[in-house]
Amino acid sequence: MSDQLDKSYDIEVIKAQWIGKKTEKTTGRYPVEYDPIRRHCHMVEDTNPLFLDPDAGKNSQYGSVIAPPVMAGYFAGSGPWPQKAKTDALANVPTRGERKINMNIDWEYLIPVRIGDQLSSQRELVDIFEKPIKLDPKAVWLVTETRITNQNDDVVAVGRNTLLTHRTPEQVSADLQK
Amino acid sequence: MTTVQTQLHWEDVKEGDKIPGYTLDLTWTKMVEQVSGSQDFYEVHHDPDFAREAGHEEIFYNTGFTQAALCRLLTDWMGKEGWIQNFSFQMRRMNIPEDHVQVKGVVTGTQVREDGKGAVTVDLWLENDRIGITTPAEATILLPLRES
Repeated sequence: MSDQLDKSYDIEVIKAQWIGKKTEKTTGRYPVEYDPIRRHCHMVEDTNPLFLDPDAGKNSQYGSVIAPPVMAGYFAGSGPWPQKAKTDALANVPTRGERKINMNIDWEYLIPVRIGDQLSSQRELVDIFEKPIKLDPKAVWLVTETRITNQNDDVVAVGRNTLLTHRTPEQVSADLQK
Repeated sequence: MTTVQTQLHWEDVKEGDKIPGYTLDLTWTKMVEQVSGSQDFYEVHHDPDFAREAGHEEIFYNTGFTQAALCRLLTDWMGKEGWIQNFSFQMRRMNIPEDHVQVKGVVTGTQVREDGKGAVTVDLWLENDRIGITTPAEATILLPLRES
């Protein structure tokens, strides 16, 4: 972020301009698929047959393999490649630093996500505030709420994410020397 | 490594019960699996120079990995008829390469709700042998009742 923006950064103005803004509802690039679930399970050595075994899924109360609930957001997105044009209305919420860390995540899961489901999501900025951290005395925090729906427009999950944005130590030091 | 597939019922659980945990060793291979499994290519999770330039001690494991690890504890434990209703966690401290991460949990309450479902609240967390608890979390899960 530029020095010019840092000097003029006013959190109250940002709040007034941005809180309540929503992204467009976007649909995931692909339906829910087996292999991303397998890769997800691989990273935490999860062997749960409900997530991995089509026969077990078919014979379960769900009638098919389901995704671990924490994957709802993954399947509602487009993944990192190929990159899509930036249409995210919340991608440019002004912050001082460009470094980001997810801090608090809170999900409510309402219905299962099955193989073949087509998920969509919409996010809303519900809060933005300043709170110092060790790395940056002017860190800016963003709180967003995400609603994930399926192809029937049933709400699958509702999540709230608190994202910390901060500057590098060099940027903080430069700011303090002004 | 588990996975538990015996069915847990609400009547089997009482406050203070420990949830069977498991361990993940954060080798550099596991770091690669983290990126593959989460598809999170933000450099702070795989590029040590980028992470240090941002003021971090090391690269650190990402949100997708963290929530997957916590979720697995619950889904292993609750069996195929359980359901995670609410799940929240706080990324307070970092898990970095070479850490030995343990995923643990404890039951904090049980209740049969007005809708007849058996609810269980739990505290769960990631801890490592370097700095202790890094990621506290809470969840409410629904379990089948034996009598229903």
